Parts: sequence; C-alpha cells; structure tokens
Amino acid sequence: MNEKQVHKFVNRYLEATECSILEKSPAHFTVKLSPFADRELTNRPYYWSFVDRVGAEPETMTYLLVTDKQKYDAEEESKAKAKASDQPDASATSQDAAANAALGRSLGFIHGSLAAPARVPREDLYFGARKLDQLFDAAKSKGSYVYLFQEPDKRSSNPFSSTPYTAWLGVNMRVEFACDRKREEIHCFGVSLATGLCVEQFHDRLLSHKLTPRLPANIHITKNGLSFNKALGIVEQALERKLRGYDYSWAADASARLEEELVRIGSYYEPLIKNAIAETRQAIEEQFTQRQAEIRWQYEPRVTASAINCGIFHLEGID
Amino acid sequence: MTFPTTPQAASAESGPAIVTRKLHPLVDLQCDRTWFEELQNRLSRGGPWDDWTLYQLAMEAEQAKRIESFDQLLSLRSLPSFEPMPHQISTARKVVHEMGGRAILADEVGLGKTIEAGLVLKEYIVRGLAKRVLILVPASLVLQWVRELNQKFGIPAVAQKKEHTWGYDVVVASMDTAKRDPHREIVLGTDYDLIIIDEAHKLKNKKTTNYQFANLLRKKYCLLLTATPIQNDLDELFNLITLLKPGQLGGQSEFAANFVVDKRLPKNEDQLQEALSTIMIRNRRGDGGIHFTKRFVKNIPLELSEDEKALYDAVTGFVKERYEESGGDLTSMLSLVTLQREVCSSRDAVFLTLVNLFKKTAEDSPMRPKIWELVEKIRNIKANTKAEKAMELVKEMNDKVIIFTEYRATQEYLLQFFRAQNMIAVPYRGGMNRGKKDWMMDLFRGRAQVLIATEAGGEGINLQFCHHMINFDLPWNPMRVEQRIGRVHRLGQTEDVKIYNLCTLGTIEEYIVNLLHEKINLFELVIGELDHILERFEKGDGSLEQKLAKVLLEAGNDTDLKQQLNQLGSSLSRIRDEVKTGKNPYATSPELLVKLDSLGQTVEVRP
Repeated sequence: MNEKQVHKFVNRYLEATECSILEKSPAHFTVKLSPFADRELTNRPYYWSFVDRVGAEPETMTYLLVTDKQKYDAEEESKAKAKASDQPDASATSQDAAANAALGRSLGFIHGSLAAPARVPREDLYFGARKLDQLFDAAKSKGSYVYLFQEPDKRSSNPFSSTPYTAWLGVNMRVEFACDRKREEIHCFGVSLATGLCVEQFHDRLLSHKLTPRLPANIHITKNGLSFNKALGIVEQALERKLRGYDYSWAADASARLEEELVRIGSYYEPLIKNAIAETRQAIEEQFTQRQAEIRWQYEPRVTASAINCGIFHLEGID
Repeated sequence: MTFPTTPQAASAESGPAIVTRKLHPLVDLQCDRTWFEELQNRLSRGGPWDDWTLYQLAMEAEQAKRIESFDQLLSLRSLPSFEPMPHQISTARKVVHEMGGRAILADEVGLGKTIEAGLVLKEYIVRGLAKRVLILVPASLVLQWVRELNQKFGIPAVAQKKEHTWGYDVVVASMDTAKRDPHREIVLGTDYDLIIIDEAHKLKNKKTTNYQFANLLRKKYCLLLTATPIQNDLDELFNLITLLKPGQLGGQSEFAANFVVDKRLPKNEDQLQEALSTIMIRNRRGDGGIHFTKRFVKNIPLELSEDEKALYDAVTGFVKERYEESGGDLTSMLSLVTLQREVCSSRDAVFLTLVNLFKKTAEDSPMRPKIWELVEKIRNIKANTKAEKAMELVKEMNDKVIIFTEYRATQEYLLQFFRAQNMIAVPYRGGMNRGKKDWMMDLFRGRAQVLIATEAGGEGINLQFCHHMINFDLPWNPMRVEQRIGRVHRLGQTEDVKIYNLCTLGTIEEYIVNLLHEKINLFELVIGELDHILERFEKGDGSLEQKLAKVLLEAGNDTDLKQQLNQLGSSLSRIRDEVKTGKNPYATSPELLVKLDSLGQTVEVRP
C-alpha cells in the first residue's frame, strides 16, 4: 500500500464508522473518533468498561492521523516558517502575556493542562505501522459476517412485477502454503444456494453491485435448493480441485530438507544415547525427541485454508 | 493440531473445526471451518451483521498484506523509518531463504548484527511464521533492544520485568533472569517460534548453566549473535553449533578427528568452512578502513591559576616524598598518583581523596598535618579554570555536547557549576540503574544541552545525535578514551565529530595528552587497532597506566621525566607504525582461530 492507498483506506474506515473528521488534507486527518471506532482503536478496555457500567457519556479520543509523513512534515514546517516570518510585532505578544498575567492575578493560578486544549496524539500511518495494523484488524473484526441484498435497478422498477433474487454463500479464503517459508493466495468463492453453482472471483462480482442490508421492495427470493452444509462442501471441493493442480516441488524440497535434518540429528544423538550412562540416558532421549519435533515444526510442508470473511448475498437473477 | 477426517464428514451436522484433505503425497490441505460455524450461528439468531464497507476494507487489508512469494524480503516494505545497509539485507535474506532461519550471525563489531536480527524477526512476523519470540541479551542491553525493535522495526517488543511479562508475544530478557525461578519454568514450557541470543559467545562453555539452559529451550527458528564465535578454543564453535544444528559438524569425536589438530589449531579448513557456510554468516569490515565521518581533535591548552598551580606543586611534592619514604614500592603508590591527576580535574576531586586519606592515616602520623596543609591550599582556590573554559566552549557550540570526566566529585561540581549559570546539564554514571540511565538519555536527547558522564563503557549509551565531546580530563588507559569516542563517533553519526581535550600546561596532563594524541595518534585510529597496539606494548610487563605511574614517580626532575616519557612515546609510535603498515593482517578484527572470510562479504562502511 502506498501513501495514497493508505489515505483512501483510512478515509473510508473513518466514514464507515461515523467518526467526525475535524480537519483533513491529502496527507493527514484530524479526527474525533466515534464511540464505535474508539473501542476498536484506542486500547482503553478499562475506560470503556467503566463507561458501560456507569452509563456515563463517553469522551472519545481525538487523533492526528498522518498518512504521508514527508508531505505533512514539509507542510507543517513551511507553515511554521510563514508564521515566524510574519510574526506580529513584539508588542502584541507582550500585550498578550501581560493580559494573561493580569488574568492570572485576578482568577488565581490556572493549571496549564486545564486551560490547554486536550492532547491530540499523533499517529503516522504507513504500511507496516502498528496503528494501521490495528485499523486493519478493526476492519476485520467488524467486517467478517454480512447479510446483504443487491439494490434493484431503479429504471426498470415496475411496482407490479417482482424481481427474482438468488441467495449466495460467499466466502473469501486465504490459502497458506508453508514450510519453513511461506506464501499465500486469496480465493473468493460464491455458491448459489438455489442451484449449487460455484463461481470464483465472487468478491469482484459483488463489488460491481450496490449492496444494502435492507430488503428491497418488490423482490422475491428463490427457494434454496441446497443446505448450507452442502454449499460448504462445494466450496471446499472446488478449492481442493484447484489446489491439486499446483506445483508442489517446494513441498518436496522441504520434505527433503526435513529428512536430511532428521538424519543429521540422529547421527548426533544416536551414538550419544548408546554411550550414555543410565542416569543421563533419559534426558538425552528426551532432548532427541524434542529436537526432532522442532525440526518437523520448522520444515513440515502444509497447506491451510481459512476464511477472511464471508456472508450471505442476495443477488438479482436465478443462477 | 490436525483432526484427520474424511471429506464425508463435511455433511455431518456438527463437523470438526478443521477438516483435512489430501492434496499431494506430501501435503494435506487443512480447511478451517470456524467461519462456517459462526455464520450459521448468526443466521440462526438473525444477526448481528457487519458493515459492507468494513467487509470490503477487511478484504483490501488482507490483499495488501498477502505474501505473494516464498522468497521476497517483505519486511523491507514496512520499514519507512530507516534503510538497512546492503550487507544487512543480504544477510537477512540468506538466513530466511537458505538457512531455514537457524544461523549464527558473526559480523565484526559495528556492522549491525542487531539490525540483521531485527530484519529476520520482522520478516518472520510479517509472514506470520513467528509470533512467540524470545530475545535473550545481557541485562545492560535489554532496553536498547526494546527501543531498537520498537522504533526501527515497529515490533512491539517488551522488556521482561515481572512474571506476567512473559505473556507478551515478543519479550526481551536477560539470560540471568530467564534461567532463574520462577521464570525458568515459564520459559522452558513455551514453544518459541524464534529465539535470538545476543553476545552468544558467552554460551561457548557447555558446562555452564547458561549453556545448559539455552540447550533446553524449545524453538523453531534461532539466531545466535556474536562477533567472536571462535576465540580461544575450537570446542566453543562446536558447542555453539550444537545449539542450532546438532550434528552439523558431526558428533564431538568426529569433530575432533576431522577438524581439530590441537584445541587451538584447526585442520581441513576448507571443509570446515564449507560445513560452516550453511549456518554462519560473517561480514567483515573492508580493508579500506571504516569510512566514518571525520573527527576533529583540538587540544585546548590551559594555564592554571596561581592558586591551582600552587596546589598542584604541593601535591606533586607530597606524592614524591611518600614514594621516597616507601622505598620504591609501586603498588601502594598508584593511588597517590591519582591525587596529581585529580588536581588537574577539579579541587573537589582531590579534596575527597585527601579527606579519605586523612581518615585512613593514624592519628599521630606525621602525615596528617601535611595532608591538612594541602587541604588548606584547596581552600584558597576560588575558581576552576577548566570549568570556565568548558562553559565557554559549550556556549560557543550552542549544540548538544557530552562532557566526560574520570571523577564523581568533578561531575557533581560541574553539574552545580552549569546549573548556577543556567545551563541545563544532566549526569550519567555507571552506578545508575537501567531506568535512570534511560531517563537521563531521554532528557539529554530532549531538552538538556549538556550530558556530564563519568562512564563511557556499558554498551547502553549511543549518542549519535550528539557530535561534540569534551574530555574534561583524560583517563590514562587509552581503551577508555576510545570507548568515550566510540559513544559518539559510530555508525549512524552523520556529522563530523569534534573532540576537545582540556589540557593544563605544566602538569602531567600535558604529557598524557601528548602521549595519547601525538604518539599513539589515538584520536585517528580505526576501531580495533588500539587493541593491537596496547597488546604488543604491554606484553608481560604491566599496563600503560602502570608504566606511566612508574616513570612519574621515579623521575628525578622535569628533564628526566620528559626524557623517559619520550622513550615511552617513541616505543608506542613504533608499535603503532608496525600495526598500521599491516604486519598484523587482522588489525581491524579480533583474532579468530579459523579464518572465516568466505562466510560473508566485505563491507565498506559509510555512514
């Protein structure tokens, strides 16, 4: 993700979670978080449990989120310079100071932190930054399970006819190919619950539609022809079929490495165990087992598939 | 964890959370079904349902984070705050892609082993291959590691403090803590994805508790960091490698038969190198020397005030007298020579020593009145010539500056002196605990202009952000001077470094500065060279410090003293020239028993 993509991502998150953006430029946001986003992003579980128990009005935090550090810092610097160059004549500031001092005398001492505006912590958001990762996680934790309908095309809406819709099980899968190294793929499947038809790149198809959580008027949903469990089986089978055709030389390499390592460890421990005196033998054997387990953990090739997120999508047409 | 089941299990009502299918003779596909259970759950309860935009964002985040290939170094795209050097990147790459994540990083000092380890760690974290990580380092380095990992790599590393700290994913602890109860059991009961051990040469002896503890740790990946993997004994190497890959060099007896002539003499070096190349990386400094920023050294000659000079002369006389009385016993006199050096620093320093001396002498000793005389002389001194000059310098620089002194009393005096003149100065000394040291560093980094330090050792202080240094007084041990300089003039320093030596004329200090500066050329030596010069110079018969004291005490008069010091000086310059002209091929690195040149690259270091 480059700076622009990060900026766009952050913007969409803030809008989706109804945060109030106080100020923004292409390089930053100053934002007062919504309670929803505050719970996700500020690591204040004690505060929120207090608010929930007491029922107090929550005070959410305000952040300065910088999405393009270089640009932002450069702008701030030039702003500061401009300010310094047209610094109002000294009399004005000294007047200010005098006024403050006078106020201080008549009102008594005012603690700096009471008079000053609330602290606005700054977070630099770049790909790899912890706060951005937190934002990613926040998106995921509240963007995992959806139940949506395609919004019908306005032009063709005829109040007397009803449009047929089909329910789809959609799931975005992350597939990990791992040994001591790793790579990943993302596969998006959709299964029509009416016919059992299975399509790939289903997520892209969803993005081409407008979706809403509300049931639109004048539609009817085709009766499901298969169970959810059946649909799940179809997804997994489709994935399995696809993955079977892959090149597994990486796994063969890893297995060979694993075998080699096991032999090497054996060559070290076996004579050691043979020559060990009775008291120490058990400890050495345990260590041998332990080392073998470590090596398997390190090198054993494996493929795992888990869902990023999923949902039930009702789309126009009968598929 | 796998629960092998047949595909038919998929249709069971409450199937297992993970289903395994055979993909290839060597590989199974494991399908995690927890998502499906949760989806059904929500369907049966009619919600709650998540937001469509967040659903899209979650997917976009995953797409951005996706690990496209086995062999890119992904950590590089998420490190905006600094740029690793090419040899560090290639080292990390090699560890991850060729060595399976188990390696000894044995770069020479100053090439950034920490950075290399950080890169490997980050890479495994980014790839989701490491979560639980343990970093064992000497206690003095714990906070520095934590800071580097957090600031440079954005890795949420935590310093181990309490028992519950072990619950964090990335923990930095000292070996001594980790191996003690109650921590021991927790650490040994954890499967760590990655363990990093810094200063791993401390594990070379397999009889030590440290070694045995390290050998019990359960780990997937493991990095051992040391600049000196084989210094005294070939068995050290064998022991280190056994921690990582038992059997890599055969069993103990095969190793002895194949690679060892004598415990300090290897054989079949080529084969040994080959066996090592799969497990050890050692980058060396280039022969062109280190291209640090420049150093400017300026001696500031100072004339002592009349009162100060009187005290110096009186103390010198006092010391001489004692030496003659003792009949030439050197060992007991060393502390007295300190008196002379202290006068050159501050009256506070010498006062404290005199008072202690006074307390130690018997009540009826004729020494007592003599000591008291000296104390009286101290009373007359109203100003400190050096402190005033230092203040002047600091104001002129108008920049961060670190002042080194040998003496606590001088440090206290200077703190007071600077405070009185409204200059913010913070102290730093060896006796402070870790937290306080760190605090002082932060203050210095932040608002204090001056740091006054009595200690240059203790790896904890990296002061690249400061490039002015004042030696208020000079230690007689050149290594300590080098340590001082090393705090400031090191990798990462972007400015030329300016060093000022305050030097009082007509005192021993003048000679010392001359010796260190002109004769050893200490201030322009490459790291490591000084080691060799001193090693040769001191062969057998005492350190430079002792030799200096001896000359000082034995010399009858000033001309005599000058002559003897000159002799000392010229033998030092001779040795320096020998080292410089490369008679010692390892001049820039500690000597190792095995040449490891093929295990890494040569790095021309530029800031």
